[in-house]
Formats: sequence, structure tokens, C-alpha cells
Amino acid sequence: MKNPVYLKILFLVLSGILGILGGIEFWELRHYKETVVVSEDFTEKIMLSEYLPSLKGTWGDTPIYIYDSGVPGGSMLILGGTHPYEPATSLAAYVIMENIEVTSGKVYIIPHANMSASTLGMLGNAYIKYYHIETQWGEKKYRVGDRGTNPLDQWPDPFTYVHYPSTQNLAYQDIRNLNRTFPGRPDGTLTERISYAIMELIRNENIDIFFDFHEASLMYPVVSTYVAHDRAMDISMMAAMMLSATQFPMKSEASPKNLRGLTHREVGDFSNTLALLMETPEAFIDRVVGRMSEELMLEGKDEFLQTAAEKGLVYCDYDINEGFPDALGNMIIGTPMDYRVGRHLSGTLEALNWMNQFFPDKAMSVTFPNYVDVMTNGSGYYLHDPSKADPSRVFEN
Amino acid sequence: MLVFLDTIIHYFYFVMTGFFAILLLKNLFKREKRKGLIYDIVYSYVIMVFILRVIGIK
Repeated sequence: MKNPVYLKILFLVLSGILGILGGIEFWELRHYKETVVVSEDFTEKIMLSEYLPSLKGTWGDTPIYIYDSGVPGGSMLILGGTHPYEPATSLAAYVIMENIEVTSGKVYIIPHANMSASTLGMLGNAYIKYYHIETQWGEKKYRVGDRGTNPLDQWPDPFTYVHYPSTQNLAYQDIRNLNRTFPGRPDGTLTERISYAIMELIRNENIDIFFDFHEASLMYPVVSTYVAHDRAMDISMMAAMMLSATQFPMKSEASPKNLRGLTHREVGDFSNTLALLMETPEAFIDRVVGRMSEELMLEGKDEFLQTAAEKGLVYCDYDINEGFPDALGNMIIGTPMDYRVGRHLSGTLEALNWMNQFFPDKAMSVTFPNYVDVMTNGSGYYLHDPSKADPSRVFEN
Repeated sequence: MLVFLDTIIHYFYFVMTGFFAILLLKNLFKREKRKGLIYDIVYSYVIMVFILRVIGIK
């Protein structure tokens, strides 16, 4: 039986309406800009394409914020948003950017290392697109992106991803995963070129210490951990011990030599920097959690994950009822955003402190809010109102 | 050169997606098999995925 043409057109129109409604949301996420009010010590903003011109005009190009004290000292690079679906990483970078004081040395911060990946949501699971942070002057809205580069910018994926230069075979989708494409190559895929440009930044600017901020599911053994390249192991072990004794539980792990493409391995191998990666606990990305809401992203409380924790299946402290105490006596209930941001802040400061002690020739003096500050006042306290700030200090990402 | 080739392949896939969108549209109105109403709905719905990709939305 032949169906009437008007019915086919009707279905097409209805699907078109759904397509437009969905498309508007996708378009808004792709083009939404986050604002940041940089601190008074900010000196310059450049683009990553300065280190690899072929990135210019692509969604792989991303801003680099520079804070140069003008006083001789070491240099530091911080990456937030290598995996944008781990949003405490970019938020921690923003808190640093808005409050940092640099009295010696030079600091480079890239809040969205994979800008392209921050412009789409995760497939499946009804992931949220944005999250909001309460401040003293109102709400700030931030994107929650994907793990890998947007397929609109890098497509198709191969059947097998052969990592360059190791030739190790990796999962096909990891060709769009910035933390599997280091050290990259200048004539590779978009993600490989982003990696290469970051490597060029590290090599050309003689970056002394490199931090790659991440978040991990609680059922992943490397959660709440520093992962350190060989040369940074002393720093990471001392920093982890100090943090565990004085602030929050932190582990330290050596970067595996047979797992290629990750920053803590390749950045250390292909430059002289001290490479560290940090993982905080993000309940939102655990496979067993229930409804994936903004509340789960910000508070990290999930009853299914609680059951997993009670069965000994998670690799860090987790309790959604009474919480667990940190070294300062705070009761941590779930995995709140402030806890995760604070971990990155103090994790950076503590490692920097130990670099200064182990390598006095690379010493630098930097201050910004730490774990105690953020746990006391909240992350939003340290985010400034763009409408009242000097316009020359307001940027969009 | 490799970046250029990569870009060509990248855009070729968009062109290919457009081709399949047109093919699906043709099959929505003219097809020999699976003529049930439910297939009209499936064709109409699936076309949108291809269109959203072609116009760079998703």
C-alpha cells in the first residue's frame, strides 16, 4: 500500500522541527563564550597558532594567557580542558587566571586546551551542556564539553589509531583525544597539531614545570592522583605526602612507559620540562551513576556510586551521607566542585613548592587561592564580575 | 601537503553525507521495499541527522 505524499511531508516537517529545536541547542553550545576577568598580573594573550600557523582559523586554535613578572625565575604551563567533560579543570584554570600574583618567573595558562572538544556535548547519557557557579554578584555559566575533538572539526576516525611516533595501536576514537596524541606532529590531524603546538610552546619557552589538569571516575585507579614523568617523580611524591598530611588525600604514580600519547609521558620525553598530570574525583563520569544532572556535576552525590563505594569498588574516599574528613577536619560529602577545584589549586601550588626546593635554579614565586580558600569561600568567591571589571582585563573563551 | 589532504578528506565526508541525505530523501518518497508508514517516519527522522552534519551543526 502506498502512503499518501502529504503524510510523508508531514513526517518530514515534524522531524525538521525536532531537528531545528535540537540544532539550536547544538549551535548555542558550539558558540557560547565563557568570560574571564584576568588578574592584574596578566601581561599578554596569544593564540596557540603562534606556535603552529596551520591551526589559525580552526577550532583547534585556543588562547594562551601569559603572566610575566618580569623578574627572572622559572616558568610554568597549566592546561585546563584537555578533556572538557572534566570541567573542574577549566574552572580551576579560571580561578587561577582571575587571582594569580606572580612575583618571579612566568606563567602560561591555557583554560581550554582542546577548544574544539569544549564545543559539543557527550553522546548518550543525556549529559548536561552547561553548569553554573554561584558568585557574590550572580551566576556564571560554563560549558561542559566532550572528551574528544568535535567530529565537525576532525572527521572521519580511522579503524585503528596508530599513535605517532611510537606506532602503538590505540582505540580508534582516541585519534580525537588530546591526551592520546602527544607529542603530535605538525602535519597530522587537528588533534595531533594541537598537541604539537603545545609541545612547541613548551620547547620554545623553556617551560620548567607543566601541569595537565584532569578529572577521573572514582572507579578508575588513578583518581585523586599525581601522574608524574620520571624527572618529576620526586616532586610528585613529596607533594602527595604533604597534601595527604595537611589538606586532602593525594596519591602519586609513575607515568607508564608503555602507554603512549599521554601528556605525562610524551611531554616529559619530548621536552625538558617536569611533566605532571593531576586527577580529581568526578562522580559524574562514573559509569554506574544514575541521573546525570547539573546537581550531580556540582555535588557528586550518587546512590549507586555509594553502593559501589561500600563494596570497595572505588579508588578514593567517597560518602554521600556523612562524608569523609579531610586533613583539615572538613567533611567531604560526595565530590563537590569546590573540592575538585581546590585539589587542583593546592596540587599545583604544592608541586611548585617542591620544584622550588629540588631545583632552586628554576624557582618561581606564585600565589593564588588554594584548597583551604576554596573550601572556605567557594570557587565563585574568586570569580569576578565582568561587567564591573576593566574591559581590557575581560576575555572570552 | 598532509594537512591539505586531511582537509580534503574531511570535507569529502561532508559531501558524502549530503549525498546520503539526498538519497534518503529520494527513498522517503520513492522506494520499492518497506513501504509501511513506520518507514516513512524512520526515513524522515534519520535524514535530519545527516542534514545537521552537512550544515555543521552536529
